[in-house]
Amino acid sequence: MRAPAASDIAAGEVLLSVEDVTLSFGGVVALRDVSFDIKKGEIRAIIGPNGAGKTSMLNVINGFYQPQKGSISFKGETRTKMRPYDAADGGIARTFQNVALFKGMSALDNILAGRTLKMKRGWFWQMLRIGPALTEEIEHRKRVEEIIDFLEIQAIRKVPVARLPYGLQKRVELGRALAMEPDLLLLDEPMAGMNLEEKEDMSRFIIDVNDHYGTTIALIEHDMGVVMDLSDRVVVLDHGVKIADATPDEVKKDQAVIDAYLGVAH
Amino acid sequence: MLGPIIETLIGGLLTGVLYALVALGFVLIFKASGVFNFAQGAMVLFAALSVARLSEVMPLVFAVAIAVVIMVVLAYVIERLVLRPLVNQEGIILFMATLGVAYFIDGFGQTVWGSDIYKINLGIPKDPMFFFEGVFPGGILIDREEVAAAAVCAILVAGLAIFFQVTRTGRALRAVADDHQAAQSVGIPLNYIWLIVWAVAGIVAIAAGMVWGSKLGVQFSISLVALKALPVLILGGFTSIPGAIVGGLIIGAGEKLAEVLLGPILIKTFDLAGGGIENWFAYMLALVFLLFRPQGLFGERIIERI
Amino acid sequence: MASRVSADADTFPKLLVRNARAFGERPAMRHKDLGIWQTWTWAQVLDEARAYAAGLHRLGVRRSDTVAIVGGNRPRLYWSVTAAQMLGAVPVPVYADAVADELAYVLAHADVRFAAVEDQEQVDKILSVSDRLPKLEKLVYDEPKGLRDYDHANLRAIDDVIADGRKALAEDGKLASWLDAEIAAGKGSDVSIILYTSGTTGQSKGVVLSAERCIAAAMDTVAFDRLNERDEALSYLPMAWVGDHYLNYAQQFVAAFCTACTETRDTAMADLREIGPTFFFAPPRIFEQMLTRVMIRMEDAGVLKRAMFRYFIGVARRYGEAILNGQPVPFAGRLLYALGLLLVYGPLKNVLGLSKVRVAYTAGEAIGPDLFSFYRSLGLNLKQLYGQTEAFLYVTAQPDGQIYADTVGPAMPNVDIRIADNGEVLFKSPGMFVSYFKDDLKTGETMTPDGYVKTGDAGFFDAKTGHLKIIDRAKDVGKLRDGTLFPPKYIENKLKFYPNIREAVAYGDGRDFVAVMINIDLTAVGSWAERNNVVYGSYQELAGHPLVYDMIAKNIEETNRSLAEDPVTAGAQVKRFLILHKELDADDGEVTRTQKVRRGFVAERYAPLIAALYDGSAEADISTEVTFEDGRKGSISARVKVRDVATVPVKPAMGKAA
Repeated sequence: MRAPAASDIAAGEVLLSVEDVTLSFGGVVALRDVSFDIKKGEIRAIIGPNGAGKTSMLNVINGFYQPQKGSISFKGETRTKMRPYDAADGGIARTFQNVALFKGMSALDNILAGRTLKMKRGWFWQMLRIGPALTEEIEHRKRVEEIIDFLEIQAIRKVPVARLPYGLQKRVELGRALAMEPDLLLLDEPMAGMNLEEKEDMSRFIIDVNDHYGTTIALIEHDMGVVMDLSDRVVVLDHGVKIADATPDEVKKDQAVIDAYLGVAH
Repeated sequence: MLGPIIETLIGGLLTGVLYALVALGFVLIFKASGVFNFAQGAMVLFAALSVARLSEVMPLVFAVAIAVVIMVVLAYVIERLVLRPLVNQEGIILFMATLGVAYFIDGFGQTVWGSDIYKINLGIPKDPMFFFEGVFPGGILIDREEVAAAAVCAILVAGLAIFFQVTRTGRALRAVADDHQAAQSVGIPLNYIWLIVWAVAGIVAIAAGMVWGSKLGVQFSISLVALKALPVLILGGFTSIPGAIVGGLIIGAGEKLAEVLLGPILIKTFDLAGGGIENWFAYMLALVFLLFRPQGLFGERIIERI
Repeated sequence: MASRVSADADTFPKLLVRNARAFGERPAMRHKDLGIWQTWTWAQVLDEARAYAAGLHRLGVRRSDTVAIVGGNRPRLYWSVTAAQMLGAVPVPVYADAVADELAYVLAHADVRFAAVEDQEQVDKILSVSDRLPKLEKLVYDEPKGLRDYDHANLRAIDDVIADGRKALAEDGKLASWLDAEIAAGKGSDVSIILYTSGTTGQSKGVVLSAERCIAAAMDTVAFDRLNERDEALSYLPMAWVGDHYLNYAQQFVAAFCTACTETRDTAMADLREIGPTFFFAPPRIFEQMLTRVMIRMEDAGVLKRAMFRYFIGVARRYGEAILNGQPVPFAGRLLYALGLLLVYGPLKNVLGLSKVRVAYTAGEAIGPDLFSFYRSLGLNLKQLYGQTEAFLYVTAQPDGQIYADTVGPAMPNVDIRIADNGEVLFKSPGMFVSYFKDDLKTGETMTPDGYVKTGDAGFFDAKTGHLKIIDRAKDVGKLRDGTLFPPKYIENKLKFYPNIREAVAYGDGRDFVAVMINIDLTAVGSWAERNNVVYGSYQELAGHPLVYDMIAKNIEETNRSLAEDPVTAGAQVKRFLILHKELDADDGEVTRTQKVRRGFVAERYAPLIAALYDGSAEADISTEVTFEDGRKGSISARVKVRDVATVPVKPAMGKAA
C-alpha cells in the first residue's frame, strides 16, 4: 500500500511526527526520547550546538538510521523505522551537509536522477527510446528544465558537477531533491560555507519552494539570522535531548536555549 | 616475416577479447559497489562448468538459458548473504569477503559439477580459416572460434553500453557508483542495483567461460584467467568499460607479440632461454603504466581539491 | 545624407513591416527557453510588436514619452524597443547590471514614464529608488517569477500587456488602423533611441540618435559586409551598449537577418556553440576569455593533443594570416595549414562556436595584436572597427583582405575624418548623433562649429597603408620624466594577452619609469595552482603567492623584450609591478560597466600602493572599501608585495636622440 498522498492532509495539520525516538551508536546516545512534529506547509528549523543530534534526526526521518526506540508517523502511517526507499517513495527528499552529488554526472543528469521514482517505463523501452518511454523521457526532461530555470542554473546544465563551485553544487543538490516533487524536504545546513550573496539566493529559493509549491520544509541551519527569518517553528536539540520547541521569537527568549546554545555560540 | 606477425597480432587481439570480457565483469562490480571482486574468476569457471555439464544432457541453447538463471540466483545469494550484511564496511573487508566467495564457488562448483576436464562444443567448426593467401605465403590463419568470441564480446559490450547510458537503471547504477547515500535519498534501492550488477557480471562470466572453455576445456585453470584481468584493469582503469576492452586488446596482442618478437632477441643477444614471456609481459606492462598513468588509459583523473 | 533612406523605410517600425512582408516566413528571432530554442518569424515579430504597442498605448504610452528598457537580451525587451517606436515613444535601454543609484540617475535624467524590465531583480531595484523617479508611472516585466505577490497597481507582465493589446486590436478595427497610421506617421528625423554612454569620465550622457541616421549607417555596413536575411547573429552584449543596438537591432532590421537571444546572461558561450552565428561581434575581452579557456583546456589535455595543438598553432602563426589575406604562401605551408585546419583549427572553432562565422568584428577598446593575430591565423575573418556611441558605432573598419593589426582601417563609406592640430580624431558620419539629451553645453563642446564630432582619441593616418592608427585616449598618452613616450593602453594590452593576467593598469606619466598593477585571472591561475599543487584559500592568498609573482614577473619580462624591439616604446619598459589583492570591480567604480579601467580613480584609491611602486619599498599595506552586489559595503585590507623586473637595456644613443 502506498502512503496516502499529502494532498489528503490539509495545510497546518501534522505531516510527520516523531515520537520518543532514541538512537544510539554502541554506548553513545545520539537522540534520547525526542518527540516533535512537522506540520504541512511550514518551514521547520532544527537547531542546536554541534553534536546535538540534528543530522542524526534527519537520518532517522529519511531512514538512514534506524532508531532503537520510538516511532515515526508520516502522512498518518506509523512505523518504528523508516527505510530510505520508503522515505523517498513516500515523498521525502533531502540534501546533505557535505553535498552528496553524483560527481561523474552533469548537473542535468544529477537532477534527472531525482526523477528516478517518477519514471515508470521499464529499461527495455528506455533502451529502444520509442513510444511511451520517449514521451515519458521528454516529460521528465521538461520538469527538470523547469527546476533548472527556477534555480537559475542554465549555464551549468551540462557541466560535470565536480567542476562546479561549492555554492552551485548546493543548488544542484537542491534541484535534485526538488525533482522528486517531495511533500517533505529535508535540508541539512543548506547555507553552510556560503558567502552572503549565495546565502541570500538560497534563502530566496527556500521561501519560493515553500510558497509556490507548498512544500513542507525541515532544515538544519547554523546561521541564526537565517533560521529566525525563514522558519515558522523551531525545535532545539542539545546533547540528543529536545530542550525547546516554539516559534523563533519564543526560542530566542528561552533561557534553556540561551544557556545551551546561543550563550555558547555567540 | 610480415605474414606471421600479422597472424600473431590477430591471434593476440582475439585472446585480448577474452581478457576484456573477464575484466568487464570486474569493472561492472567495481563501478557500482567499489568492491574489487576477487570471485570473478571463480564465477567464470562456475559458469563454464554449468554450461559444459548441462549441455551434456540438453541442447546448448537451453544449457545457456539455465546457466543464466543459475548466475542470477548466485548473484542474489551473494547480495543477500555477503554484501547486505557488510554494507558500509571498509573496501578491504569486502575484498576479503569476495576472496572467501571465490574459494566457496570454486569448491562448490566441483561439488556440484565434478572436477574433471569438460568440453563445451559451441558448434563452430574447429578448422581455422585462411585469408590473404595471395599476399602472404601460406596466408593468415584465424581461428573461427576466436572470431565468434570477438563477435559475442562486441554485442555484449554494445548492449551494456546502451543499457548503462540510456536507461533509468543505468543512470541509477552510475549514481550508486558515485555516492551511495545520495542514491538512496532519491529512492534508488541499493540492493536492487547490486543484484543487477552481480547478475550482469555473472552473465558476462558465462560468455567468457564458454569461449574460454571451448578453447582450453573447462578446468580449474580457467579461474586463474582472472589474474590476467588485473593488468588489463590497471591499463584500462578500474572504472572504465571502454578501458577494459582496449586494455584487454593491448595485453592480448602485446604478450603474443612479445613472445614472438622479443623471445628470439633475448635468446640471441643474452643467451637466455627466452621462454615464458607471455607469463610476465602483461604484468611488466601494467607496472610501467602504474608508474606513468596510475588512473589507467580511460580512468577518471584523480584530482584532489582543497 | 538622409536622402538615401526612403520615406517608407526611414524608421524601424516601418522596416519591420517591410521585413514581415518580404521575409514573413523567415526566422527573425530566437530565444532558448526551458532548454529549447524558440523561434519567431518576421511576421510573428510584427504581430507581437503590434499587439505590444497597442497594449502599451492602452497603458498610457504616448508620442515622445521615454520608455526605459532594463534587462538582459530577451525577445520581449527588443520588442519593447520596437513597440515604443511604433507609438512614437523613445526607448532608453539601461545596463542591466547598473546599481540602483546609476539606474535612478538615468531614469530620472531621461524623464521616463514607463519602464520595461526583465525580472524581479530589476523591479526591486527600480522600486527601491522610486522616490527619485516621480515621473515613472508604470512598470512592465518579462519574467513573472517571484513577482506574483507584488502590488500590481502599476505593474504588469509584458505577456499580459501583449495579450490585452491583441484582444483590443481584434475587437476594435479602429485601433488597428490607428496603429497603422501611427507607424506611418513616424519620420526619419524622429528620435529613434537614446543610448546612455557608460561614462568613462563622470556621469553618463544620453546620446540622442535619429531613425534615418541609424538606418543610413546600418545600410552602409550591411552593404560593406554583404549581410543578408540568411545571416544569423547572437545577441548577448548589453542592450544598452551601442554595439548591441547597432548589430542586433539596426543591422538586423536593415538586413533582415536572424538574431538569437542567449538563454541567460551566463550561458552565452554555450549558446554561441549551439547557434553557430555567421556574423559575430565581441569586445576584445570576450576573445580574451575564449582564448583563456582554450589554453586551460589544452593544459589539461593529454601529451599528444598538446603537442599537436602547439605545433599547428605554430603553423597557423606562420601561414594563417597570409592565407586569409590572399597573400602568396609556399605550397608546403598551404598543405600543413590544411592539415591543421582538419586536426586543430576546425575542431577548435567548432568548440568555440565560430565555425560558421563569415565576418567577425571586435571593438570597444584596442585589441592586443597577438590576440588579434591568433584568431585570424585560425582562419577567422576577424576585423577591427573603431567608433563610439556618438557615431552610432563606427568611424572606421578594416575591409576584407586589408588587415593590419595595429591600425583600425580606413574611414568607412560616407564617413569623413579629420585630425585636429592636437592629434585628436574628428569625424562626420551617416550615423552621427543629434545631441546629448538635455545637455546643449556638452553637445556644443563635442561638436566643432563646422559639424564634426570630437572623439577624444589621439591618432594619425599610417603613411604606408592610409589606415587610421589610434594610440590612446588623447588625454591618457603621457610622457615619462625624461620625455620618453608613455602609452599606457599599449603596454596594458600587451600584458593582458597572457592568460594569467586579467587586467593591468600601467602608470608612468611624469614619473621616472613605468610600473604596473596586475589583476590575475582566477580561472587561469587557479587551474595552474591546481596542477602544481599550490594551496590557496582565497583570491587574495593566490594573488600574493610568491610562485604566482614569479610567473607574472616572467610574463612582464617577455613584454619588456617585445617593448624593447621598437625604439619608440623601448623606454617605456616596466620596471616594477605588484599584484592586486582584489579584482577590479564595476560595483566599486574601478572599472566601467564595459570593463574599462578608470585609471585616475584606481590611482587615487590605491595611492599607497602606487607610492610603494615608486619609492622602492618591498611591500605596502592597503585597505579599501568594497560594495557587495546588494549595495552593502565592507572593507578589505591586505599587505601587497612589490617586485622589480628585469628590463632590456636601451641603447642610449637612440633613446636620447629621439
